Amino acid sequence: MSDDYLWDGSGTPDPDVQRLEALLGRLRAPLAGAPAPSLPAQPIRWRTLRYLGPALATAAAVLVMIGLTLRTTRTASSWEVASLAGQPRVGSSALAGTGRIAVGQTLVTDGGSQARMTVGTIGQVTIDTNTRVRLVATRDGHHQLALERGTLHAVINAPPGQFVVNTPSATATDLGCAYTLHVDEDGAGYLSVTSGWVALELHGRESLVPVGASCRTDAKLGPGTPSYDDADAEMRRALDEFDLARDPTARSNALRVVLDHAGPGDAMTLWHLIARVDAGDRAAVVDALAELLPMPAGVTREAVLRLDAAALDQWWNALGLGEASWWRNFKAPYPAGASR
Amino acid sequence: MEHVLEIGRLYPVLTVPRGATLNSGRGNDAATIRAVAAGDEDAFSRLYAGYVRMVHAILLGRVPRRDVDDLVQDVFISAYTRIGELRDAAAFGGWIAAIARNRATDYLRQSREHVELPEELPGGDPIEAETLAILDVVRKLPEAYRETLLMRLVEGMSGNEIAERTGLTPASVRVNLHRGMKLLREKLGWQRHE
Repeated sequence: MSDDYLWDGSGTPDPDVQRLEALLGRLRAPLAGAPAPSLPAQPIRWRTLRYLGPALATAAAVLVMIGLTLRTTRTASSWEVASLAGQPRVGSSALAGTGRIAVGQTLVTDGGSQARMTVGTIGQVTIDTNTRVRLVATRDGHHQLALERGTLHAVINAPPGQFVVNTPSATATDLGCAYTLHVDEDGAGYLSVTSGWVALELHGRESLVPVGASCRTDAKLGPGTPSYDDADAEMRRALDEFDLARDPTARSNALRVVLDHAGPGDAMTLWHLIARVDAGDRAAVVDALAELLPMPAGVTREAVLRLDAAALDQWWNALGLGEASWWRNFKAPYPAGASR
Repeated sequence: MEHVLEIGRLYPVLTVPRGATLNSGRGNDAATIRAVAAGDEDAFSRLYAGYVRMVHAILLGRVPRRDVDDLVQDVFISAYTRIGELRDAAAFGGWIAAIARNRATDYLRQSREHVELPEELPGGDPIEAETLAILDVVRKLPEAYRETLLMRLVEGMSGNEIAERTGLTPASVRVNLHRGMKLLREKLGWQRHE
């Protein structure tokens, strides 16, 4: 057998090489399609300055100004990070006291370490133990982390949409709030909001999670259906079952439990379910929501059943959680399947 | 555990030909490198895209997988800040490869001074035990075989791409792939299919 396949994949496939490609290819550089790392300032080459003569003083002043600008730029493309316990690692270096994390770098905590990152001028993120998080981007109006596993607590004071956290099972967009986000080893996640709102999204499936509510995320499904933390426990258990079930009968059975146990405070949850249930179950959800929260004037049952965007908007507005038009400015709140 | 290698006729080909120039298709690299030296960030992005797989492979052959991505970033940032030291743009591939090898050596030295973390921390997609076992065997091959095989089998680079990026001659790459694969089969106890 020739080495053509080993050379460039041409010719008769070599089974051993194919097997190695399949196994080792999983380790391929994830950075190949990613942007290049943020650049620091290039150093000034001092030996060239010897020849500048009388212009040196003027040039030095200019260089100082340039240096200050570059320093500002460098600082702006990184965050301050402080160790709260133990010895977190930033990149390949152990962090003692305070330091900085640059775009592209990863912060890793073990079972005995915690850290706090300062998100530009808009807030702070506390990194819990056994967590791995990467700084994806930071610039005016946009700050982004990737939480690969573990737990972070974010407190953000900024206009909606400026702080984003990617996880394997959803992207969490801050709507001016405080929250805790956890990611399991298998990529599944859990979001709990303690102030404001967070929008979760994966592949067009969205959930809006208000203060006092939480939401599970699943690597295949994306965001689950949010519910309030003080909701009926049986309803929440059935909601998880509904979100994860593939079998239509199992979904219908779980949905029935959800509707039976939904209380006056669960209108937000039922609103999310309208577009998520199978078509045959939609009327039951709409009717259950109508009992908790009457349809506003101008909204018809028929319009909601066909997932009319304007009708869903108006009903959402009646929840008293903010105007749908306001959400729409940065992220539409419709669950997947709604007509726009 | 170090394996005893059959050195001799399997001696790796690692030399970069004197005066080697960038190969066809990469004639623009010299201009790109000059632009990077002038602070052109777009040019740096192009350079990064062209060489990230090679750097990744070199590091993967030497340091724990969990830290490879961060070290890749370190290497490129180091290359950017030091690119003024590069006299011959044609030698960029070999130059950044040397930075990567040195960075890995520094990392391993520093790691010994700090609390050791487990070799492979879980996270992201699970990598099967067989993959990690084979990686462990590849890491114990001679450097030239190890790096060339990782570029081919992990990063999916062709022999010609490896030659272009590393500055090695295609003949050297072919020898490294052939001998490296032969040695890897032996270490894994695989019989070659004829």
